[in-house]
Formats: sequence, C-alpha cells, structure tokens
Amino acid sequence: MNKTFISFFTFVGTMLGFHYVLFPIMDIREFSWVMNRYVYYILIPITLIVVNIGFRLKPPISLIALMVWVLGYYFYDAILFPPIPWTLFITYMVMWTIGTFLYISQDANTFREFRAPIVKTIIGEYKIARIVVFALLPMLVGFVTYNNIYPKFQEPVELRTVHPAPPATTKVHGKTWALETARNPYRIDNQDNYKNSFPFLDADKNEYMKNVTEGGTIFFQECHYCHGDQLNGLGMFSHVFNPTPANFIDPGTIAMLRESFLFWRVAKGGPGLPNESTPWSSAMPPWEEHLTTEEIWKVILFEFWYTGWHPRTFDTEESYIGQWEKEGKPTGAYSG
Amino acid sequence: MLGKQTGRYQALSLAMVMAFAIYLLPAFATDALAKEAYAGQAFAEEAFAKEVLAEEAVAGGEGEGESEIEWGQDVFYKDWEGNPLKGPVSGFPAPELGPSDYNNYEFAPSRMILWMAAQQHLYFGSFVLAVPIFCMLIEFIGIRSKESDPIMSVKYDRLAHDLMKISLTAYSWTAILGGILLFTFITLFPGFFKYIAGIFRPVMHIYALMFLAESGILYVYYYGWERMSQDPFLKWIHVSLSVLLNLVGTVLMFLANSWATFMQAPGGIDEQGRFLGNIWHVIHSTLWNPVGVHRILGNIVFGGGIVGAYAAYHYLTAKTEEERAHYDWVCYVAMFICIFGLIPLPFAGYWLMKEVYAFRQQMGITLMGGIMAWLFIIQAVMIGLLFFGANSYLHNGMSRVKGAHRYMKYSKYMILLLIVCFTMWMTPHTIVMTPAELKAMGGAQHPIIGHFGVMSAKNTAVNLMITTTILCFLLYQKANKKITVPWQTIGNCWLSAIFIGAAANIIFLGVYGYYLPANIRVGLSVPQVTTTLTTLFVGTAINTSMFKDAETYGEVQWGTMSKVGTYAIFLLAISFTWLMGLMGYIRSAVRLFWHVTEVMRDNSVDAYTLTIGEAGKMLTFNTLFVWVQFVVVFWVASLTGKKEETVPEPQAVPVPAQQQQ
Repeated sequence: MNKTFISFFTFVGTMLGFHYVLFPIMDIREFSWVMNRYVYYILIPITLIVVNIGFRLKPPISLIALMVWVLGYYFYDAILFPPIPWTLFITYMVMWTIGTFLYISQDANTFREFRAPIVKTIIGEYKIARIVVFALLPMLVGFVTYNNIYPKFQEPVELRTVHPAPPATTKVHGKTWALETARNPYRIDNQDNYKNSFPFLDADKNEYMKNVTEGGTIFFQECHYCHGDQLNGLGMFSHVFNPTPANFIDPGTIAMLRESFLFWRVAKGGPGLPNESTPWSSAMPPWEEHLTTEEIWKVILFEFWYTGWHPRTFDTEESYIGQWEKEGKPTGAYSG
Repeated sequence: MLGKQTGRYQALSLAMVMAFAIYLLPAFATDALAKEAYAGQAFAEEAFAKEVLAEEAVAGGEGEGESEIEWGQDVFYKDWEGNPLKGPVSGFPAPELGPSDYNNYEFAPSRMILWMAAQQHLYFGSFVLAVPIFCMLIEFIGIRSKESDPIMSVKYDRLAHDLMKISLTAYSWTAILGGILLFTFITLFPGFFKYIAGIFRPVMHIYALMFLAESGILYVYYYGWERMSQDPFLKWIHVSLSVLLNLVGTVLMFLANSWATFMQAPGGIDEQGRFLGNIWHVIHSTLWNPVGVHRILGNIVFGGGIVGAYAAYHYLTAKTEEERAHYDWVCYVAMFICIFGLIPLPFAGYWLMKEVYAFRQQMGITLMGGIMAWLFIIQAVMIGLLFFGANSYLHNGMSRVKGAHRYMKYSKYMILLLIVCFTMWMTPHTIVMTPAELKAMGGAQHPIIGHFGVMSAKNTAVNLMITTTILCFLLYQKANKKITVPWQTIGNCWLSAIFIGAAANIIFLGVYGYYLPANIRVGLSVPQVTTTLTTLFVGTAINTSMFKDAETYGEVQWGTMSKVGTYAIFLLAISFTWLMGLMGYIRSAVRLFWHVTEVMRDNSVDAYTLTIGEAGKMLTFNTLFVWVQFVVVFWVASLTGKKEETVPEPQAVPVPAQQQQ
C-alpha cells in the first residue's frame, strides 16, 4: 500500500483513538500537571511524528499541511477550555491557516510539491480523487448553505465597548470632579506598604486599613451579590446578567484603569454609560443614589487592595499619594 | 549585503545608521516630553515677559498705572511648579462655528471629500519623502563600491536615478494634491481654516518657502545627475545634495505635522484658543515628536513597499532573463529597506500612544478601549500580515541562495513562533460573543486567553515577532557563506546566546509585567524594546564580522524568486497602504466632535464617528484610488525611460551579498 495512504490512515486512526479513548481518561476535573487536556494534546503530534519517522512513511507536504491544519482546528475547537466564542475561533483559524500556508509556501519546491496532488486531481490524473472531490464539493456548499439559512434563535452578537472613554468631568453629590485630576482621598500611601496588615484584622491599627475595611464592609453589603465574594465577577446573581458583572481579578479590568475612572463608573452605574457601551443593557445601579462619595472611594480602595492590582497612574502621579496627609484631615471630596 | 564585498556590509550599516541619525535628530534633539523639556525654557520666557511687563508698568505707570497686555493660561504647558504657563494673549479666540462656516456639495459630505483629499495627499507625500531616502542610500552605496565593483556601482547609480525619475513625476502630483487639499479646506471648512491659518500664519509661509527650497534642490539633484557623475568630487557633492534634500523634506513634513498634532493635542494657546505669543509652543505640542518619528519610519516602509511592488510587477512580466534578474534584485533592495523601517515602527507607535495617554486619559481610552478599539484590532491583523509578508519573502528568497538548505529547516519553527505570537498579539481584550457563548465561557474574560488581552502580552508578542524576523534576516545573510574566521564557533555561540537570552528576557519581562502596577508596567516596554534592538544591532554586527574572508557555496540565482515570494511583496505594499489610511483615520477621528481638542468644536453636520464598516469602505476606496494613481505615475515615468533604452546597459547581472567572496 502507498506510504502516503498509510500515513493518512495512521493520522485518522490516531486522532480518533486519542479523542475517543485517551481524551476521556486524561481530561479529569481536578487540576493535575500530568493528567490534563493540554498534555494530552501535546501527545498527539509527538505520536504522529514518532510513527511517521519510525516507519519512514515520509508523508508529502500536502498531507503534513493537512495534519498541521487539523491539529490546529482540533486545539481551538476541542482542547482550549472553556470554549472560545465563534468569532475568536474563526480569527484563530484564519491565523492558523495563514501559518500553514506560510509553511507550505516557504520555498518554490515545497509549494510545487503541495500543489502537485491538487493539480493532478483537477486535470484528472487522480481519477477517483477527482470524482470524490467534485461530488463532495457541491454537497459541502449545500451543507454550509443549509446551515446558514437554517433559522437560529440566539441573540445576535454585539460590539459593546467595555471600557468607554470617560467624560472630562462628572458631577457627584453636587460636586464636579475632573476625572483627569481627581484622586482617591483615602490613598494615603502605596498599598504595597501594607502587605503585612489586613482589613478587618488590622482595622484599628492604622488609618489605611481602617478605610480598606470600611470599603470592604460596603462591598460585602452591596456589591458582592453580582461581583462575587472573590471579586471575580461570579456573584450569586451574576449568571442572569448580560453583560456579566466585571471581574476585578482579571488583568484587563481595574488593573488598567485609574481610580477616577472607577469612581465615575460606580457613581453613575449602567445608566451613566455612553451609548457605545449600551447603557440599556447594564444592570449596575448608579451608586451615587445609595452611597456617599466617601463610601464610593473606600470601596474602590478595597477593590484594589483585595485584588492586589495597583490603580493606573501616569509617570509622576505617585506624588499625589500622601497629599492628603499634608492637607490635613480628609474632607472626602478632593478634586485635584 | 547589497553589494559585492564584505566592506559593503560596513558601508551599508554605516549608511543606515547615518541616515537614521540624521532623520531622527530633529525629533530626539529635544526631549520626548514637551511638557517637561520646555518647562525650563518656558519659565525663562515667562520671567523675561514678566520683566518686560514690569518695565512697561513702570513706563506706563507714570501715566495710567496699568498694563495693556492681557495674560492667558496655556492649555498644555506648565511652569516649574506645575501651574499653567502664562503668556501674552496675541490672537483672537477660537470662534464658535455656525452653519455659515461650513459649505458642502450635494454629492458627498464635506468630511468625506476632505478625508479623501487629505489621504491622497498624504500617501503621495510620504512616497516622495521616502524615495529620496532610498536614493541617498543607494547612491551612497554605489559610490562606495565604485572601485571594488564598478559594474555594481553603475547598477546602483542607475537604480537610484530611475527611482528619482519616478519620484519627480510623483512630486508634482503631490503638489497638485496638496493644492486640492488646501482648496478643499478653504472652500468647505472656511471658519476652521481661518482660525488655523491665524495661529500658524508664519509656519505656513515657512512651509511654502521650504517647498520652494525642496523643489530647487530636487531639480538640481535630478537634472544634474549625469553631469555630476563624471567627476568624483562632484559626485560627492551630488550625494550631499540628496542629504540636503532629505533634510528639507523632513523639515517640511515636521512643519505640516504640527498642524495635525496641534489639532489633536493643542499647546501654546489658552482655553479660548487665543495664541499666547510663542509659535514654538504651538508647533512643538506634545505629540509632535512621536508623530514625526512614526511618520518617517512609516514613509520608509511605505516607499519600500511601493518600489517593491513596482519591481515585483516588472519581475513577473519580464521577458528576458536579464530583466528578471534586475527586477528581482530591485525587489530585494526595496524589501531590505522596507523591513529595516518596519522593525522599529511598532516602537514608535507605542511611544505615540504613550504620549496620547499622557495627554488625555480619555483620548487614550477612546483609542484603545473605547469606540476605536475595534479598529485597533484590525490594525493588529494588518501588522501581522506585514510581518508574515516580510518573513515569507525572506523564506522564499533564501531558497534561491545556494547553501541556504542548511537554514531552511528552521523556517517552520520560525513560522510557528510567529503564528503563536501573532495569535497572542491580536487576541482582543473584549471578545465579540453571543450570550450563549458568554455563559459557556463562564464570564466576559477567558481564564487562559483573557491574559493575552493586555499590554504585557502584546508587547512580548510583538517583540518576539520582531526578534524572529531579525533572526530570519541574519540566516538569510549567512545563507551561502562558508564561514572561515577562526572564531566562528565562538561567534555562533554568541549569536545563539544573544537570541536565546533575548527571548528569555522578553518573556520574563512580559510575565513580570502582570505583577506590577500599570505605570511601572508601561516602563517595562523599554527594556523589552532595548533587548530586541540589541539583537538587531549586535546580532547583525557579529554576523557580518564573521563574513570576513568567507567562502561561498555559490551565487544567488537572481531571477529565480518564487511567485509566492513575489506576491508577498504586493501583499505587503497593499496592506501597508490600507494600514496607513486606517491609522491616520484613527488618529484624526479620535478628536471626535472637536476640530481642535477641547478648544474649537466641530459644529458641522459631519461631526459624527463613522461605523467600522463605513470607515473600512472609505479606507479601501482611498487605497484603490491611490494605487490607480501610482500606476499612472509609473506609466508616465516609463514614457521617458523608453527613450533611454538606446543607452548601452552594463552587461553583468548584479552580484549579491550571498555570492560574494
């Protein structure tokens, strides 16, 4: 039998065997460095390489390209967990396809070798292949068409801007805050200086932890139902909302933002979002109606302390830390 | 590299470094942060103004006891203490524009017409600024190689001359497009233009005079080519003229940039838009330096892409072997310069974005996280395509070099690395998904790929992509060399150590960035970039040093470039044209409803932000339109070329780096 066919059937067999036999064994729920789906996945190309080299099958480049492409597809479709959205899947596959193409077209010889079976199929040198391909192609087109036309009942995707640009100023409790310069009045020191003290436990030992504790208290009274008791956006009500509540642990949320941005978001809530962020589809209430300005700042302080992120600052802005101490007792509303 | 002898490597490196030093000098001569750098100067000026004021008060005090000078606070510049800088009010406030300040035609919105006019002018402008840079470099290499390889020297000289010929046609075309742009401003946005012209009055006159100087030098440079080639001394004068031409061109571009950067991030005026008497403050607003540097590099890549595409077309349609060999070589020269510009380009972009964020957080977020964020994702895809195109060209180029088989086996690993990095680079922070998908994912952020949505990952990815491209280039250089220097093992070890160390350092800094506050994390991009540039300069230096007395495996077979590699050049050129339009649109559109940010409001009916689809259509139209014009310009230039065919050509085929020694 032709070595190419052997290689091809080995590939198909390996994929099926791995997927239906080894995958259920290795994909266990508990985290393990060895028994997990990513280690399982790495075993597939290793097996294919060993088999093909071991039996000296020397598959043609078109078959190698097919294997590479299918392995990419398999990774994004079945291995990467949790499953990624369709739009991202398509994007990744486009990348992978381009990569595969770069691989086969890296020089004139490999590209000629890759084209050879295609050309032979088209001109009829591979008669059976030609019949199969030209019979399957219309069916494939028909299938795709059917899939596209078949009515679906899910909501359409929307391009929602998660972090819209803030306005230049915002008015909270009668005071106008310039977001470019507004600072958290309770950030009296760098939070790294309090690594060994904890809110609630050390609330009475220093001023900073007292404020963090107060912020934490408000968070667990008001916010954790949606944002979660671990601040990961998985609160008990989070699953009924679209969009889901923000996950503060993620490096892409509060870690990227200034405290004044958060102040604006918390104070104005969903209804205060600009149109690009679909204010009608956010359930967050405007907290200025329920909390005082001081409480909002303290909650923000707690969120950064708990997650370990530092608020975004620019260049010399660290200098504002401690400014409150110089200026005396905080009034709660400091607009720089 | 581009010539015959090893000495040429040094010549080329020297030329490159010199060229960059010259072009970046105006920008780097001053500190990146205008706000800080000029605080001292501004402070002195203010002190001087106060003295004058005091003197006037004394002089006038005898009569009225009050000065007539009104003082305004600068919207951007600050003094030593961080207070807004004061300056004497020397202009009128920005007017509140009404319907009578805008005109329009029936057939299209004014904004679209202006966009098209500006974009076409900018495309041609960057082309005619880039080509003299090429000519300068190529002519310089030609002079340097005259004694060692006269045939190649003539080839270089002719290539530079041919490029200049195209540029000459494009130059007048650019001027015409500039005129159209000016008339579009005056006729459709008279209110706005009146204000800008009031502020930039002297700059506009200097600009016009510089244009005159540019034209004069250009004509002497081009028409004096043959005559000045006869005498070695005159030839040096001739190449010096090209340096002067480029300097004037760069100043021209920087002057024109000041109008755009002023509109985006104004300085030198007060809140009402009144000019505060210091024209340098108006020119040198905070984004002026980064935009200038970014545009210089962008022009080089753009020019390389166009010249490459021009040569690629001729390569594919060539009738004779000589012609094929010649245009294959021209493609190579153009791509070399193009990739040289492409490598530092993302860094200049980062610098620009950093300055935008520092100017206004709001503007930065609108760009990177707000309504422009999706355009940035498209930008990421396009940049990836550029790197793919460049690498594909290098891989394919290697296959025509004898001895390259030693390195070609590494191509697939480099492709894999590129793809992985690119996947990371273009993973969006906010993913488009249906509610069902969102639930399946368990939240808006994916626990694994969610980490790729932030800058730490993106910086790491792009630096690794660039490092891979550099490695690919070094292997290309080595392809047909049989190294004979006694220290070749040590040299190779050093090269390996540099690349492995660089990759480790870039990845480490990327991961470390997740544990740092945002303002410090941003600073990590500096060591990452330094690492990448170190691989470029030190790697190239070691690599070329190893070619001393190297033996060759064989000649580069010019004219045998694969078609895929040639098409990669078209991909690069078209992608870059589109990308340039896209980024220009983003930079300009981020002003949203302002003509001049926070000073002069756009009250026209066109003061809206386009949907992504509409913007995409305009960009595509602009790209197609400019390429139609390029084709026409090339055709016009070729009309004169046909007459010159009677001049006997040098018989030899260019001898490339790989077959040297």
